[in-house]
Amino acid sequence: MLLKLAGSLDALTAPELLPTIDRLVDERRTRITVQLEGLDLIDSSGVAAIVALYKRTRSNGGRVTVTGARDQPLAIFKLLRMDRVFAL
Amino acid sequence: MSNRVGNEGMIQLTCPADLRYRDVAVRAVAEACRLVSRSRYAHGSQESAVSSQPLDLSDRFAAEVVSAVSEIFNNIAIHGYRGEGSGDVTLELRIRGDCLVILISDEGSAFDPSQVPLPELDALPEGGMGIHIARACMDELDYTPGPPNVWRLIKYTSGFGRRQRHASSPI
Repeated sequence: MLLKLAGSLDALTAPELLPTIDRLVDERRTRITVQLEGLDLIDSSGVAAIVALYKRTRSNGGRVTVTGARDQPLAIFKLLRMDRVFAL
Repeated sequence: MSNRVGNEGMIQLTCPADLRYRDVAVRAVAEACRLVSRSRYAHGSQESAVSSQPLDLSDRFAAEVVSAVSEIFNNIAIHGYRGEGSGDVTLELRIRGDCLVILISDEGSAFDPSQVPLPELDALPEGGMGIHIARACMDELDYTPGPPNVWRLIKYTSGFGRRQRHASSPI
């Protein structure tokens, strides 16, 4: 399952992603790739949404891979030491 | 609104403390970052301050400042005004030769940022990261409860202030 995110993932837009996360978890998807090549800006709310997807999928025995983070989003993942978790 | 005092350019922006307006604030901050960079590399340049370019956060200085301001704006909109969008937030951007000074003020509920615990990063937190991000991204960050509540953020182009202040992991 490929989830492409673009633009801004922040306190305004992250709530729009939550139904998709719920659906992926309910479907018990075990291989999810979150592609961030098109993402320009992320904030703590956006990070929280991706972490929620990661944790809930892992609790189902699945795995989430995050790819393509660059510039500001990559910097935030590094600051929060999540670059190692997501192998960025 | 903008004006100039000596060598300091100032931009002031007031908008509703509503997340739908955050992008306006972010873009003003990103442009102010570019102006600081220009004053660093092109003294006496007549370059226009107006840009039609899309939001570009590939520059580390801009990425860090925008990250910090985004979190502070979120905090004011969500906690200060409890998401009701019932008040305003004012940004004052002071563009200096060696740094950008940002004052962010609001009339919402005050809080004590010193009581915000550091997030347990190894536990992959799903909240409580905003103030940590803001602190780590700026060289100086302080808060004066009001009304008005005033955040003061400073970012130096040289990174000197960061090294002096704390040992947080730089971006």
